[in-house]
Amino acid sequence: MSLLEIKNVSKIYGELKALDDVSLSVEKGEWVAIMGPSGSGKSTMMNIIGCMDKPTKGQVLLDGVDISKESGRKLTEIRRDKIGLIFQQFHMVSYLTAVENVMVSQYYHSMPDEKEALEALDRVGLKQRARHLPSQLSGGEQQRVCVARALINHPELILADEPTGNLDEANENIVLDLFRQLHREGTTLIVVTHDPEVGEAAQRMIVLEHGRVAREVVNESFEA
Amino acid sequence: MSKRRMFFKMITASLLRRRSRMLIALLSIAVGATILAGLVTVYVDVPRQMAASFRSYGANMLLMPGEKKALNRESTDEALSLISREKLQGASPYRYISAEFMGNQTGEGKYSSQLKFMTAGTSFDEVQKTSPYFAVEGRYPEAPREALVGKNVAATVGVKPGGNVRLAYDRVKTVAAGQTQRELQGSAPGYYDAEVGATVLLNEDGTIAAVAMDLSRQTPFRVAGLTTDSFTDTYGVAHAESFTDQFIGKQIPLTMSASADDLDEYIDAVSGATASCKAVVDAVNAASETGTHSAGQQITDTERAAMSFTVVGILETGGEEEDYIYLSQRDMEDLTDERDVYDVVELSVSGSSEELSALAGEINEKTGLEARLVKRVTKSEAGVLGKLQALVFLVTLVVLVLTMISVSTTMTAVVSERRKEIGLRKALGASDGSIRVEFLGEGLFLGLLGGVVGAVLGYVFALVVSRRVFGSDLQFNFLLVPATILVSMLVSALSCLIPVKRAVAIDPALVLKGE
Ligand SMILES: Nc1ncnc2c1ncn2[C@@H]1O[C@H](COP(=O)(O)OP(=O)(O)OP(=O)(O)O)[C@@H](O)[C@H]1O
Ligand SMILES: [Mg+2]
Repeated sequence: MSLLEIKNVSKIYGELKALDDVSLSVEKGEWVAIMGPSGSGKSTMMNIIGCMDKPTKGQVLLDGVDISKESGRKLTEIRRDKIGLIFQQFHMVSYLTAVENVMVSQYYHSMPDEKEALEALDRVGLKQRARHLPSQLSGGEQQRVCVARALINHPELILADEPTGNLDEANENIVLDLFRQLHREGTTLIVVTHDPEVGEAAQRMIVLEHGRVAREVVNESFEA
Repeated sequence: MSKRRMFFKMITASLLRRRSRMLIALLSIAVGATILAGLVTVYVDVPRQMAASFRSYGANMLLMPGEKKALNRESTDEALSLISREKLQGASPYRYISAEFMGNQTGEGKYSSQLKFMTAGTSFDEVQKTSPYFAVEGRYPEAPREALVGKNVAATVGVKPGGNVRLAYDRVKTVAAGQTQRELQGSAPGYYDAEVGATVLLNEDGTIAAVAMDLSRQTPFRVAGLTTDSFTDTYGVAHAESFTDQFIGKQIPLTMSASADDLDEYIDAVSGATASCKAVVDAVNAASETGTHSAGQQITDTERAAMSFTVVGILETGGEEEDYIYLSQRDMEDLTDERDVYDVVELSVSGSSEELSALAGEINEKTGLEARLVKRVTKSEAGVLGKLQALVFLVTLVVLVLTMISVSTTMTAVVSERRKEIGLRKALGASDGSIRVEFLGEGLFLGLLGGVVGAVLGYVFALVVSRRVFGSDLQFNFLLVPATILVSMLVSALSCLIPVKRAVAIDPALVLKGE
């Protein structure tokens, strides 16, 4: 069974079809890139998969549960338990340190565990900066904290919306290396990106245009 | 780390690391709590303060002569011995007379118009205890022949501290007491057509037993050659005791003589007071029978005395005391030539009204004096107290509402400032409940801090108010500290309700959209 199955999903804002009868599926452990021009509906799709929005039409099955039918409370629960989110803007709680930001995720999920949070930061190479506030961290470092935060609860699915959009080359590579590690560990990754380099790092690229799947490209040269 | 610890970490970090905004919220709560704590302290302490103030606002018990008991030093001491030492704030004896103000000296032995003023003899040390609200310009009398003059009196006669007043008093003298006697009364025109009266007691054989003169309607004027204190013709007659002594044993009608040749038959005039003496003789001759005196009855006569006093203070009270002249007890005794007579003793006694009436009853019973509570003070005390408390209550309510509005506004601003963070928390899996709890937690924490600050500052505030308004320290109420903290936490939490509602409504998807 696929981890994610999207069946004939449309998201309609008045006249505008942000998503127009989209169907696709993502297998467990797969690394998928979603690409496409601005306004093509990438973020809309991410929000739906991430249980932050509901489709106007169609079905979204996440781990066998139809999240297009669930209530807000249940969606929050599913998001908390199964999904790790990474955003283009690093989105950290400004008054909490790096390690505390990671622990916030644990706090809502289960139990804050500083040791574990520090290990996660170690993993993204930020153990030394664990006690710094976001304002004392560079953009790349902040995004790495966000990666650590996304993976802390061992989600089945990591959703990243333009994770490298605000990063320089060096930091982009660090984040991609982290994705590779996660992939090797069996985490399912869905990464929205404009950047062909980031797209090509994935196993499969899905290109959206005007809310539709324009094409799918399987990366032959993908190496785990 | 436990979930709870993380919770406290988050809310304290939010307050401590995001200082500027939270400081404003904290400030409004602290100010609100300060005023609240202050007002409540005053509110709680006011009855005590007021009781003290009102106690100091004059006497609350009066001692007066009983039906069969004279009021004097001895009977007063007897009554005071029934009052415990700690409860007795002061006891001022008063002797009241109507004294004649002899006017300003307008020339050698000449005085301007005469007015009568109520004049009291008292103990100034005690007056300061029973009437601490007396405002004296200058000082209280200390030495003999010093007077405290009411503001109105001072204005009427135009006297200032350092000035002089001369007071005259018609001393009442008991003239005679005898066996069964007949009383006659008569009058005759005196000097300047003023009437002179005479009361004559006749023995059963028709001889004169006693004569009392009534010279009060006589216009005084200067007579040269009499003693220093006597400066009027009337005074001269009144002072010359031997004058009326000449009448005793004689029979009506009497004849007046300028020479002292035959004293058995003739009446010798007081030298220099001939006119008045003549008038008295005429009055006695004109006397006709009015009644019979049985044995032991007394008739009285007046005798004028005058004394000068240095005005050392002008008394301002806003009350009838401003129409009075106050002398020391000794001076009053000298002026009236009556020792150890009180008309009233004003007492200031602390205690509940029940205790006071019980005390008054005991004094009445045991001493035979009449002890009376001054009810008016107690009554107004309760009235003013109620009004004051209502006012404080109202102000407290207004402050509460204002604080709530201020905190609510600040917290709403805080929520919109933190929309992204709230969206992020929700995206990370925070339920509506946890968002609610976190914000209320911040609110309660703010309330706690504000309450602590407010309780401390509020006490200081109340202390200042208490010192300024009531002129006394207040009793610190320890219960007020937790109460203030609790109230400010409650107010703060209530103020957060609307902002929290807004926070919960934030949509994570919208917030996380790139900006
Ligand atoms: N809440 C909304 N209300 C109305 N229109 C919306 C809303 N959200 C998205 N849209 C529209 O839907 C379309 C798809 O938007 P979406 O954010 O998914 O684009 P995108 O592919 O993520 O673009 P980008 O690469 O610029 O981030 C856009 O035309 C956008 O204007
Ligand atoms: Mg987008």
